[in-house]
Amino acid sequence: MNDRALMWKNLWRKPVRTILLVVSITIAFAILCVMLSFNDAISNVRTLPTRMITLSKINFTEPLPMAHYDRIARMEGVAVATHMNWFGGYFQEMPRGFLPVFAVDPETYFQVYAEDLQIPAEQRDAFFNDPTAMLVAAPVAEKFGWRVGQRIPIKSNIFTNSTSGDSTWEFMLAGTIPTPQGSSQTGSVLIHYDYFNETRTFGRDRIGWVPFLTTSAELNDRVSNAIDQRFANSADETSTNDEATFNKSFTAQLGNIALVITLVVGSAFIAILLIVGTTMALAVRERTKEVGVMKTLGFSSGRVLRMVLGESMLLAFLGAGFGALLALGLLAMAAGAGGGGPPVSLAPSALLWSALIALGLGLLTGLAPALQAYRMRIIDALGRR
Amino acid sequence: MTDLIRLTDVEKNYTRGKEKISIFDKLTMRIEQGDFVAIMGPSGSGKTTLLNLLGGTDKADKGAIEFDGKRIDNLNEGQLTAWRAANVGFIFQFYNLMPILTAAQNVELPLLLTKLAPKKRRENVATALKIVGLEDRAKHRPREMSGGQQQRVAIARAIVSDPKLLLCDEPTGDLDRTTADEILGTLQVLNRDLGKTIIMVTHDAQAAKFAKRTLHLDKGRFEQAELAA
Amino acid sequence: MASLLNQIGAVTALNVRSIPQRGWMSVASVVAVALTIAVLLFFLALSNGLSQTVKGSGADDVAIIIREGSNAELNSVVTRDQLSILTTGPGVAQRQGRPSASGELLVIVDGVKRSTSTNANMPFRGIGAEGLALRRGVRITEGRMFNPGTNEIVVGAGLLREFSGFEFGKSIRLRGTTWQIVGVFEAPGTVFESELWADIAVTQSLFNRPNVYQTMRIQLSSPDAVKAFQDWAKTDARLNGLEVLSERAYYARQASQSSAGFMFIGLVLGIMMAIGALAGALNTMYSSVAARSAEIATLRIIGFSGWAAFFGTMVEALMLSAAGGALGILLAFVAFNGRTTSTLGAGFTQLVFQFQLSGGIVFAAIVMAIVIGLVGGFFPGIRAARQRPQLELAAQ
Repeated sequence: MNDRALMWKNLWRKPVRTILLVVSITIAFAILCVMLSFNDAISNVRTLPTRMITLSKINFTEPLPMAHYDRIARMEGVAVATHMNWFGGYFQEMPRGFLPVFAVDPETYFQVYAEDLQIPAEQRDAFFNDPTAMLVAAPVAEKFGWRVGQRIPIKSNIFTNSTSGDSTWEFMLAGTIPTPQGSSQTGSVLIHYDYFNETRTFGRDRIGWVPFLTTSAELNDRVSNAIDQRFANSADETSTNDEATFNKSFTAQLGNIALVITLVVGSAFIAILLIVGTTMALAVRERTKEVGVMKTLGFSSGRVLRMVLGESMLLAFLGAGFGALLALGLLAMAAGAGGGGPPVSLAPSALLWSALIALGLGLLTGLAPALQAYRMRIIDALGRR
Repeated sequence: MTDLIRLTDVEKNYTRGKEKISIFDKLTMRIEQGDFVAIMGPSGSGKTTLLNLLGGTDKADKGAIEFDGKRIDNLNEGQLTAWRAANVGFIFQFYNLMPILTAAQNVELPLLLTKLAPKKRRENVATALKIVGLEDRAKHRPREMSGGQQQRVAIARAIVSDPKLLLCDEPTGDLDRTTADEILGTLQVLNRDLGKTIIMVTHDAQAAKFAKRTLHLDKGRFEQAELAA
Repeated sequence: MASLLNQIGAVTALNVRSIPQRGWMSVASVVAVALTIAVLLFFLALSNGLSQTVKGSGADDVAIIIREGSNAELNSVVTRDQLSILTTGPGVAQRQGRPSASGELLVIVDGVKRSTSTNANMPFRGIGAEGLALRRGVRITEGRMFNPGTNEIVVGAGLLREFSGFEFGKSIRLRGTTWQIVGVFEAPGTVFESELWADIAVTQSLFNRPNVYQTMRIQLSSPDAVKAFQDWAKTDARLNGLEVLSERAYYARQASQSSAGFMFIGLVLGIMMAIGALAGALNTMYSSVAARSAEIATLRIIGFSGWAAFFGTMVEALMLSAAGGALGILLAFVAFNGRTTSTLGAGFTQLVFQFQLSGGIVFAAIVMAIVIGLVGGFFPGIRAARQRPQLELAAQ
């Protein structure tokens, strides 16, 4: 036996009470982890400082003429440019089958997003060489059970296929893109722009937006000014921003997510802080006599303080650990149920926050009772007077 | 025989509300190494306060308290705690065992304060339990044991770190006659065979007979004749 | 029976009087319940407000025609020819000798959200001459309606409150052309209040979508005429691939799409937090029973039944959770009910709406609070009822 064993035994003195506390802490941490993971998935996409995006000044849903792309690609300070077009894709049915399908120019797209497109050469070549080929983020292929080499019918809720007369295109799955945390390709489905452009019934020769790399991040401001100036007063004015700014304004559209997360997680933690804090205080009060005995036996006040704090820490970290596990399960369930959108995995930052908050929770809930135990005088504790 | 404990001109006052109550006024006494002293007296005579002062769980207002030739009245809280762990074993009326721990774990508790290796600790616990005749109850929890058995565990806990002094506060106050006599017999054995110095506060004249001598305390003073002995 | 009631009354009074002894714990469980209820109400009021606004936008006797399978107006296409055919259908109301119909085109332009200073998608709708008349309850409150054929815009009051860039009197540049904002309209509780309106023909030409419509609205003579109009449309091959439905039905479908997510989040979070709050309530009530074990034992010796002890505990738990529920509802009313907010709606554009509590939502909150109280009191109550009439305990 040692102090840690003693803390553990103290914690489980009233098992029902401890289980209830662990359950409530677990839930608060599960909420924290799930919400932070979603927030992370939405907002923490890895960006390159040199990657910029040109889109229509009116709104990013307004298409730009193809000629814009050629002009941007030749601009001074632009290393390589590509273009993307929203396809409005889905598989079988909405909203479960929702797919962020982009019609891209494969070779330049692979240059602009090189770091997130590390796939086997034969898959890459298969994609480049077949106009009807598509690449799919690995979790998406997994979700729908697609195999490389299969032909997959993808529907568009915007465009009509001129060859078939309906809104379905068939694409050959050339390969899958691994999407580690923060990948810009999370959930992506890539198809050939040329094939798409030739077979669509309207909107030909227009593109959605133009991502490009500058030769140096220091040139970003100059390049973006030059591009937007170049198209000023034309019918298709542009707005050029670096990738991080674009992503931020995009997610801000959903509303003030960070505030909602803070409010909800804050409420959950205030609630458990109160519950755990008052219960710990009660637990130590109930043990007054035992604390007196420990001190009589020669346990120092500091050691008693550490043991009470250790107990509340143990409780907080036990709950945080279970909470992270529960979050893992909930996220896996959400990914399986699939309501559109790519699957979300447990964010490392969520774990870090959990650990920090658990530390704070353990300290806050344990501090008052620990000090109470620290200050407790033996003759008062034992009622020996 | 040398003195284990020496009290010189000890004063102790309490304030209860606005009233100041003097418990001891210039109390002087000595207890020899290997003695077994019963202290009797009516409620409020200062028995428990005396035990608190001897065990370092309360401090005197004035005067000197010496243990084994060293002053303990001027030690600070932390030093007193360490001194207590090394030198004093406590036995309470209501046993005060930890309900969540087994008998053996309760006995082991004071050894957490030492640097003994786990194996040596287990040996000491086994020896202490054997001395009080409870080796077969090692794995039982307090609520699975009778009052007498619990008090035996408490005694084992008090002697496991081999202190010189045992302080007993009404150790048989909650037990029936037969069990009480068994417990007192055990204390006698500890005093005689292991040479423990024992100071026992009791209300019970029968219990006091097990001690080598009895001191009567009244209003903070001992009967002079007894002290001289 | 009366005697049991008396017993319960007596035990409950003892319980309630002892609440201050567990003051902080009781406060903690009340606050935990209150926060749980507030979080539940937050999402339900959000979902309800969004849903009510979308639903409130549709009329019974206006038919809306969109391309089949298009989830939002943005993806729909209706051709000019189809438009003229549709105006010849049965039951189409006439105004000043013309069919009361409006072909419309929705494009998205950027506005700036006032609270965050970030760009946001604003719906910019080109409407026909009858567009305003087709929407009952729309009122120009400042300036005037746009003149057909000009680059003039009227702006919804809701949009103006949440977003900047389209203030009355301002001129803005879109696609190299200057547009003048000539009026502000109100359409309380509808999606239209978050829109910008301009002339359809000008919109089509300036946004480079010649002769393209996305939706068409037609005023029918009565709500009953919708069915006949639908049946008629099915018989004409030229209208193949179009979907006809009443405006109300169309918006009801949109409402469930946009609000279901928030409702789901609210229920999941609400239930999760309720389990946490329940743990707090159970702890408080177990402590209550433990603290009063001597008292309960004494009462049992005197002759009180176990039921009295059970119900006394139940009533205390219910009182705590009811207090928490009331506090949570109060918090919701004060903190966010009626507050205006906006989010991305089903049409991929910002939709301005208000948090809206309803009787049903408040009822759901009360039910949740009561469930927490019932479960939180039940198990500790059983423990109280099982307390034996032990003399030694009572004597302590």
